[in-house]
Amino acid sequence: MQEIPRGWKWSLAVVLVLAMGMAEAATAAEKIVIGALYPMTGRAGRYGIDSVSGAEIAADEINAKGGVNGRMIDLIFNDSKANPAYSVKVAKRFITDDKVNFLMGVVSSAVGLAVTEVSKENKVIFVGTDHASTKLTTEKFQPYYFRVSNNTYQSAAAAALYAKDKKDWKKYYVLGPDYEYGHRTWEDFWMLLQRTRKDVQLAGQAWPKLFEPDYTPYITAILNAKPDVLVTTFWGGDTVAFIKQALPYKLFDKMKFFNYDAGGNYEVLEAMPNTLPKGLVLSSRHHLNWPDTKENRDFVNKYKAKTGRFPSYAAEGAYAGVYFIAEAVRQAGTAEDADKLVSVMEKMKIKLPEDPEGFTSYMRPIDHQIVQVQAIGETVPNNQYPPATMMLGNFKVYKAEDIIPTEEEIVNTRKEAAK
Amino acid sequence: MGGNIFLAQLLSGLTSAMTLFLVASGLTLIFGVVNVFNFAHGSFYLLGAYFAYQAVAVSGVGFWEGVILATLGAGVSGAVMEYVFLRRIYGRPGEAGFQILLTYSFILILDDVVKMIWGTDYKSISKPEALAGPLYFGEMIVPKYDIVVIGVGLLVAVGMWWMIKRTKFGRNLRAISSNREMAASLGVNVPLALSLVFGLATALGGLSGALSAPVRTVTPGAGIEVIIGSLIVVVIGGLGNFWGALVGALIIGEVTAFGILYLPQWAILFSYAVMALVLIFRPEGLLTKRSAAR
Repeated sequence: MQEIPRGWKWSLAVVLVLAMGMAEAATAAEKIVIGALYPMTGRAGRYGIDSVSGAEIAADEINAKGGVNGRMIDLIFNDSKANPAYSVKVAKRFITDDKVNFLMGVVSSAVGLAVTEVSKENKVIFVGTDHASTKLTTEKFQPYYFRVSNNTYQSAAAAALYAKDKKDWKKYYVLGPDYEYGHRTWEDFWMLLQRTRKDVQLAGQAWPKLFEPDYTPYITAILNAKPDVLVTTFWGGDTVAFIKQALPYKLFDKMKFFNYDAGGNYEVLEAMPNTLPKGLVLSSRHHLNWPDTKENRDFVNKYKAKTGRFPSYAAEGAYAGVYFIAEAVRQAGTAEDADKLVSVMEKMKIKLPEDPEGFTSYMRPIDHQIVQVQAIGETVPNNQYPPATMMLGNFKVYKAEDIIPTEEEIVNTRKEAAK
Repeated sequence: MGGNIFLAQLLSGLTSAMTLFLVASGLTLIFGVVNVFNFAHGSFYLLGAYFAYQAVAVSGVGFWEGVILATLGAGVSGAVMEYVFLRRIYGRPGEAGFQILLTYSFILILDDVVKMIWGTDYKSISKPEALAGPLYFGEMIVPKYDIVVIGVGLLVAVGMWWMIKRTKFGRNLRAISSNREMAASLGVNVPLALSLVFGLATALGGLSGALSAPVRTVTPGAGIEVIIGSLIVVVIGGLGNFWGALVGALIIGEVTAFGILYLPQWAILFSYAVMALVLIFRPEGLLTKRSAAR
């Protein structure tokens, strides 16, 4: 083969790079670019991986129909490493280098609180999926942030309504991971329950560290306290470990088990085939088998077809996030004018897989928190979603308007925080 | 009930202690003999748990056969890691720094390998039918499986004592631990012994992981969670001291258990408080004399 002269090689390379750059710039202007941050490793890795698949399903559906106003959705993913400082760097790079129109994602609330600052500074809209700390929509609220999944207050409020009607639930014990999420999820519930029930009392509380592998000593202590209800605010593997370890102590025969924010997540149900006890009272931000609507069935089936397994609730959150962005762009007629998009998003109504018949999720202007129905169920035998052998059933459904803080409460919380 | 709950708490503390001991004893053994601080030790616990899952839940092997396979698998992986990687940095200037980098990198590598093979969803294996239920002592309930875990832990402790004190291999280990060059010049095959110790120690970690698989969450990242507890245990007992690991594990297990019973809101503070006290008053660890692995 003939040698190409050295100088030629260089100019050729330069021309190629320039050409590629121009091609890139040409398509970038037409695409709607979403920079998504999700953890890919560690305990939350499952949520991140499920979120990516959920987001991809939404983007594929939208693009297959010709995109939004003729523009295709382009998702760029990056690992958040569940690390706030690192995620801030990635979010900034998304904005400066990748020229994203939107930021999306984040499983950890700590990362969410960090990324919302980047969003505020750069006036780039950040659509939150999955992370649940109420702080993002109250104390740390900023106009370019929107959340399309329930926060901990909503599940705690639904739980308080559920518990209110259980006349024989009087003595409570709480066990949860010792960080913001674990405590806040419990405190909102307990505050709300005490408003309506004067006869409830706290038999004890314990706060093991997050990801504690061994709960045996806690279990014996809980049995000794003889509560009517054990509330746990664990998520994911911690719920699994606790249930596994409490089973031989017959704990679930002696008290009700109540985990109302993340306990009913599919990853928990599938982790203990044949051993998960009946009658645990759980909820989740999305259920595979509720509501039994076409939208929800379609979403679950599509996910199963794409990945070969059933999703944890994070998937539906990310799916909702992409649709929320697409719908806003369609209505606003722009993906670049952030302020116009904010005014559209604030009034957005959007039908999501988790919406039951006759209800459409909507955004509340005061806190940019999506308002949704919450369903709490009990574990019952169900083999339709293998490997799980128990799914939630006997659902009690709580109206969206009954489980959100009033506008006055939000204003007060913000005032308190500003002091 | 008073006496019962005391006993129940004592036993649950003992169960925690034994799982901790199995990991910590390997950690301390490697430090004592090989003179490496193996940050990746928890990852062999992780491997043990996944190997057991693979054997029992996927391949349908019996529970105890699965545990044995997982133990062997973790041990072989450990020996390979020592033979292929760690061996290259012994005696380098600034060896400690390389040790940290290398063993820490293995935490990340093994975590990702596990994720690639088995995915991120939580895995589980069932206990053998006969051990699934509890034993009743009056009002007190003790899971049968916990008793088995305690039994295995004690067996390992006795077995290790016998090996270190009574066998030729153990004598060689003690020799290597007190003076590696001298042992080598007296005809001990030091490189082989180091690989074997590494394999043995990581097998103990694997055993702990395999035994934990039915009662804990099998998930990537689980290795890092146990390494912190084990670190506290070996600091209390004395780094490199085998019996120190046993004593340290018992102290941490029971202190945590009774902390939870009497002051549950402060429970997680206690193990760190004990460690801080030991570091202030006996920084070399409770049982450490000059040389290790006695």
